[in-house]
Amino acid sequence: MTTALLRRLLPLPFVVLAAALLVFLLPRLAGIDTVRAVLRSRVAEAEPDPAVAARLTAELGLDRSWIEQFLRWLGRALTGDLGLSFATRTAVAPQLGAALEVSAVLAVLALLIAAVVGIPSGVWAARRPRGALDRVVTGLSVLGVAVPEFILAPVLVLVLAIAVPLLPATGWGTLPQAVLPVLTLAAFPTALAAQLTRAETLDALGLPHIPVARAKGLTERRVLWKHAARLALTGVTALSGLFFAGLIGGAVVVEVVFGIPGVGRLLYDAVLGQDLPMIQAGLLAIVVIAVLASAAAELAQLTMDPVALSRALR
Amino acid sequence: MRRGGLVLAGVAVAVLLLAALYPVDAITTHLGERFQGPSVSHPLGTDGLGRDVLARLAAGTRLSVWFTLLAVALCAVVGTLAGLLSGYAGGAAAAVVQRLVDILVAVPTVIVGLVVVAVREPGLGSLLIAVLLTGWAPFARLAHQLTLRERSREYVEGAVAIGAGPVRIAVRHVVPNALRPLVAHACLRFANVLLSIAGLSFLGLGAQPPTPEWGAMLAEGRQYLFVAPQLVLIPAVAVVGTSLLVTLLGRQLEGRWSSQ
Repeated sequence: MTTALLRRLLPLPFVVLAAALLVFLLPRLAGIDTVRAVLRSRVAEAEPDPAVAARLTAELGLDRSWIEQFLRWLGRALTGDLGLSFATRTAVAPQLGAALEVSAVLAVLALLIAAVVGIPSGVWAARRPRGALDRVVTGLSVLGVAVPEFILAPVLVLVLAIAVPLLPATGWGTLPQAVLPVLTLAAFPTALAAQLTRAETLDALGLPHIPVARAKGLTERRVLWKHAARLALTGVTALSGLFFAGLIGGAVVVEVVFGIPGVGRLLYDAVLGQDLPMIQAGLLAIVVIAVLASAAAELAQLTMDPVALSRALR
Repeated sequence: MRRGGLVLAGVAVAVLLLAALYPVDAITTHLGERFQGPSVSHPLGTDGLGRDVLARLAAGTRLSVWFTLLAVALCAVVGTLAGLLSGYAGGAAAAVVQRLVDILVAVPTVIVGLVVVAVREPGLGSLLIAVLLTGWAPFARLAHQLTLRERSREYVEGAVAIGAGPVRIAVRHVVPNALRPLVAHACLRFANVLLSIAGLSFLGLGAQPPTPEWGAMLAEGRQYLFVAPQLVLIPAVAVVGTSLLVTLLGRQLEGRWSSQ
């Protein structure tokens, strides 16, 4: 188990390092003069004083080699110093921390709905393929995958906040305010979970251990949930990377539309405001989360699926 | 099933023709004619700046469909070449390419779009770059698998035995046989890219006002959600309808061609 896990996790730090290098090089790719950008953020001068510019260059270490600069930047980032925001002129790290908390709540709630609604409906749909329930679940899940967040959000607002004024249309902090954003964000992972679970359960029901379980006289319910659905779950876990991309991308749209102060919104505002330290910090945070999530998915799959474990050890 | 496909294709062609031929101006504003309902002169009414909604929808159809076609075609060419080369190279080089593909497939397009806009500026050019940066990866994965499959076929071994070189095998045997699955895959990617482009434009990172683009129309319409919800619903139907239609087409092609 440990060897298998190590072998799979070993490339991940290198992925983080490569991504960090890209994030670090971003201002250079953009052709942005860091000294000027910093000075312009502090004093509103079009042409900075050369003496001040030279002092700042030395202060920021911009006169050293880029490898040295990168290691320094990385070292500071690891100790929680992510620099000062150009826009607010305050430290980036606390703002990022607060935004991460908000986004985490949003994402966890959406994933919870996906797990509680999506997985069981996928199993139920697989019980009788082409039956009435299957048609409803399949139809809804196709729609859930096809309707993007930027359409679902205004439509939900229109129906549940304007036509029938039940819920607030924007904001964050109270329970009613969370309903529409969470529903919007949950639609894609829920639909995807239902589709994947249905397909995996159908596959599992075709395996030879199912007739054996039936022959033993187990109830159909037990066969479905214990012998097919459990197996399907390992397959769905293996595909969890699909959920992540949709969830992060969706979170940006949902946070912007509903005015939620999460990481997606933070990054969006930073990009439009050309707030480089904030952009770099936001991207770095997303990369680290992506890597941690994929590691967690690997771990979950290896613990749940002995076949994957033996394959990884080979 | 075949008749259904024909009907769908006919509807798509008719809509595209109408969109190409609809003569009304989509850009000039008429502030005296804001939020009008459907009428003979404005079949879908007017928007918040008095512009004809049908004209904007038609212009948006031209832009969205052609732009998406261009993006998907570029992704398909680049990705197929990369997959073909890595399928032939094998070994460490192929492993590196496939690992890169694994990572790129999991990167959300919205994030790529934000990064590209941070480096450049909002606009259709940035949009194309954002889509290309990750969009080639799924094609590369599929082309890699198809290349390996075709190269292990007996008739290819036979061709090698009578002296066919790798280029001849690739051009005469691998590519023609990989074409159908790749085209079916392109249909599925079309829907995905269409949604990405509309989504990024919705966020103001792609097409800029007054350019009539479906995502940008949605963003503009959202400001008037209370007074004129149809300004959101009309482009919404266009986006979802098109993506569903192309996805269904792709699945049918995939199913038919894989069963042969």
